[in-house]
Amino acid sequence: MSPSQHINALQIEGLTVRHGGVVAVADAALRAAPGAITCLVGMNGAGKSSLLRAIVGLAASEGDISLGTRNLSRLPIEARIHAGIAYVPEGRRVFPGLTVGENLLVAGPSGARLRRQRLDRALDLFPQLRPRIQDRAWQLSGGQQQMLAIGRALMAEPDVYLLDEPTLGLAPQIIDDVAGSLRQLAEEGAAILVAEQNAGFAERVADEIVTIQTGRIMPDRPGRIDT
Amino acid sequence: MNPSTLTRHRWPLVAGAGALVIYALFFASSYDQRILTLSGIYVIMVLGYQFIFGHAGALSLAQGAFFGVGAYVTGILASKFGTGFVLTFPLSVAGASMLALIVAVPVLRLASHYFALATLALSQLLLLIAVNWEAVTGGANGLPGVPPISIGDWQATRGLPLLLFVWGLAVVAMLIARWQLRPARVAAFTVMRDTPLAVPAFGIDPGLLRLRAFLLSAAFGGAAGALFVHTNRVVSPETLGFGVMITCLTMTVVGGRFGILGAVIGALLLTHLPEWFRGLDEYYLVAVGVLLLAMVVFAPDGLASFFKFSGSTHTPISTPAQPGSTEYAPPVASGRPVLEASNMSRRYGGVQALDGVDLALGAGEIVGLIGPNGAGKTTLANIITGIARADTGNIRSAGLDLARATPTAIARHGVARTFQTPQLPDGLTVREAVETAAANAGDTANVRGAATAAEAIATCDLSDIADTRCGTLPHGLRRRVEIARALAGGPHLLVLDEPAAGLAPEEQAEIAQILRTLAGSGLAILVIDHNLEFLQPLATRLACLDAGRLIADGPRDDVLANDAVQAAYFGLVMPTSTSGVSA
Amino acid sequence: MLGAQLALNAVALGAAYALVAIGFVLVLNATTAVNFAHGESVVAGGFAAVALTGALAMLLPAGNAIPGIVLLPGVLLLTALLGLAIAALAYLPIRNRPPVSVFVTTIAFGIIVTNGLNAAFGAAPRAAPALLGTGTIEFLGVTASRQSLAIIATAVVLIGALAFVLQRTQLGRQFRACAQDPEMARALGIRLTRITLLAFALGTAFAGAAGLLLAHQFFVTPSDGAGLILKAYIAVVIGGWGSLRGATIGAMLIAFFEVGVASISSQPLAEGLLYVAVLLVLLVRPDGIFGEPQRLRA
Repeated sequence: MSPSQHINALQIEGLTVRHGGVVAVADAALRAAPGAITCLVGMNGAGKSSLLRAIVGLAASEGDISLGTRNLSRLPIEARIHAGIAYVPEGRRVFPGLTVGENLLVAGPSGARLRRQRLDRALDLFPQLRPRIQDRAWQLSGGQQQMLAIGRALMAEPDVYLLDEPTLGLAPQIIDDVAGSLRQLAEEGAAILVAEQNAGFAERVADEIVTIQTGRIMPDRPGRIDT
Repeated sequence: MNPSTLTRHRWPLVAGAGALVIYALFFASSYDQRILTLSGIYVIMVLGYQFIFGHAGALSLAQGAFFGVGAYVTGILASKFGTGFVLTFPLSVAGASMLALIVAVPVLRLASHYFALATLALSQLLLLIAVNWEAVTGGANGLPGVPPISIGDWQATRGLPLLLFVWGLAVVAMLIARWQLRPARVAAFTVMRDTPLAVPAFGIDPGLLRLRAFLLSAAFGGAAGALFVHTNRVVSPETLGFGVMITCLTMTVVGGRFGILGAVIGALLLTHLPEWFRGLDEYYLVAVGVLLLAMVVFAPDGLASFFKFSGSTHTPISTPAQPGSTEYAPPVASGRPVLEASNMSRRYGGVQALDGVDLALGAGEIVGLIGPNGAGKTTLANIITGIARADTGNIRSAGLDLARATPTAIARHGVARTFQTPQLPDGLTVREAVETAAANAGDTANVRGAATAAEAIATCDLSDIADTRCGTLPHGLRRRVEIARALAGGPHLLVLDEPAAGLAPEEQAEIAQILRTLAGSGLAILVIDHNLEFLQPLATRLACLDAGRLIADGPRDDVLANDAVQAAYFGLVMPTSTSGVSA
Repeated sequence: MLGAQLALNAVALGAAYALVAIGFVLVLNATTAVNFAHGESVVAGGFAAVALTGALAMLLPAGNAIPGIVLLPGVLLLTALLGLAIAALAYLPIRNRPPVSVFVTTIAFGIIVTNGLNAAFGAAPRAAPALLGTGTIEFLGVTASRQSLAIIATAVVLIGALAFVLQRTQLGRQFRACAQDPEMARALGIRLTRITLLAFALGTAFAGAAGLLLAHQFFVTPSDGAGLILKAYIAVVIGGWGSLRGATIGAMLIAFFEVGVASISSQPLAEGLLYVAVLLVLLVRPDGIFGEPQRLRA
């Protein structure tokens, strides 16, 4: 897919997430632009995961979440995904008992032919997975599972990728591979939002860095953050 | 909860109990008394069922079978041989318990649904025997002519004497239940339900705990069955039928899975409901099904939970303490390693997760274990703590053969661990969780009971949140609680699986500081982590695994400079192999 | 000759048991829920056939025998609706609670079905019509009962259609993804509630079909549920938790065991030995005979 205008930006306005009585995210505003990697950095417990989960609909929230001109905030999870959001959760969460191929296909669109094409594309981006396509996902190493999780998100050809701590627990060499694949997806025009506490990684891959502290998005500090 | 609210909530119960006694003594017809007698019998049965279904959290479908065995033991002995209650009652209890003990071997280690299946199969089997072995059981018609309860010259005739006798035994059953469910054991049961993976890390033997619950449930069930036969004066296959099991399950769900009040409410209500809803005729049992379904959906903790105090927590059992006064020196001659492992190997399917690894740790040493994903780091931790078994290898710590000992025995011996994802019981407070670990630690030289627990809490700087429930804690604190839990067993070796993962730099620094203090007092520490920023200043020695092989082990700077480590870990050169199982 | 006939009977019985076991696994795989009302669903299928026969008999001129196969679509439909009711009342409201809660609600649902049928039809055994008439046909020198052959053919068609869906289609993959990580499945856009309802409907309809198949030769009584769920359960345990192929093999083994022991001894002994065998199997292999818990395979 060529970088094109029809890909939508993700826009968040006044988003608040509560866990029990605790405010995890307070009145957050954020924009993830097409063709760019936006990194959401912050310490553990700052609210990064809660923010991403709220965008997908896995956590209840108040406020506006829109994709292009479409407001997603009232939609159930499935509808948000179909609107063009893909989510790569913390801890990968591949389906352990499905094969690598099935893990990818299950996330694909209806239409067998289209699914096959997308499968090929995912395997092109992550060639390490190709020889293991018949293996069960639990047999993969942590790094390979991370690639599978990203590949799975790619199957829906979303406008927006949400990735929660994609480098957690990965060896430095694998982190480089992950960074490379994210860059490629951005170049193809997708909007990418990465929650990350590895500031080094964020600095390396991000076009834009947004800092979140105790549930609040910090005022714009264009360019690089201090590490 | 202050005393006045307590009294306020207890008040209606005391009044209700009083009214019930007055009703039973002065107003109940002989038929009403019979129903009340049955209630008392079911109280005993449900109290027993609470052990296995409530506390152990396992759906046993054998409670009806234990009831039936108790019934048949009494029925056969009393009607055929005229044996007296003094002998038949203990034999009924013993018979049910014996059956539980025999089937415990295949049944108790099974996971939830397998356990339910196995206990259901047992019940169906006994029912088949009762119906078909006519010579002994009287077949489908059963055995009539069971005499009333008599002890010496006294006879519990139908009516008030039998009613009072049965409820007297119900009170005895309540006292036994109370005695068995002391706070430490209730906490151990909670750990078993909430964090099955970490049960051994608490020093709890899950098999023993479950066996205790199963035997108690069987003994109570057998007692109830015996009393039932004396009340009915006949024993028939009905006592073994699924209906009894359903009744018991419904009473427990409706009344409550925990506590005496739940048992009493459930038993009283379900024995009286058919009387109140006679108009429903054959649809009465449909209504029971609807009630059971509705209770689980809308009031899963049972009616007893509406009386607030019944769920109140037990009192803390601890004393305040100073951090760091415990010595974690191992019970070995100084200079000898705390952990000696050689030639550890383990295959998973086609993957060699560990391949001939040697590793030794000395007292007071902090060793960092690094390696790429799938290198076998977690496998190594699992093997040292007995959760996984090595295919080959000699692993010893302070005289214990870790390759053969159970995970619980290893934890009690003083080899503690934490998990990649902290495993803490949501339902317990920090203090309760740590104290449970201390209370179950066995006779490790370093443990002095609650004092050790309090010290561990202080050492990990958790005193402020000691009375917070683990389930509400944020991730960073959970990691520290896990370390405190590990320390409560008075370990001499601590294995930490990615203790810094997901922590902010400040939180990592706190953990590092705690670990340094502990090493200073003699604890040997093995830290598995990726994060060199965390490990580098902490570990004096590093070991590096790659594809199951130990490719370097030595002083930190030597290992980091090692070419093989550079290649495997930092990817400067393509590693020789990238295969491996998930870390 | 006698041996061949016995074997055919065993295969027919095994085919019916396989439908029960497969229905059980379907729900299990899509939801991880253990449906203890599944035995009662078989019984409900039997009574659905009895009731439909009665209704059709009023429409047709007297004396016309109704072949059971005509009832199959109606039985499938009615029991699919029952499955939806089980899902809506006993599973969906408590899907996020510990599994034991679902055991209890489905047991409760079973009580409702058993006693509802008992009140409506009475406790006496009832029979459904034969699928394609009674009698025998000569086949390769073997005298085969028409009913046995019809049972086998019906089961093969139903199981074949299902296997195709699960192994070759997106729906099948979605089923299995939902079983392994329902939240993640939703986060990939899979409509979890729809899959859940479908699984309960299909699984219960399979049980219902088995009820129709079994209720001619073996009759059906409202209280048969406990024995049937146990057999389904045993088949699934023998075959490996979550495996459809294993469940089918397990069902066949149970049927051969039952028919074999009953032919040289008695039915109660066959049943009793079956339960003893379960306990022994679990003693030796707590995960079942072919079972490897990680591998949920269609």
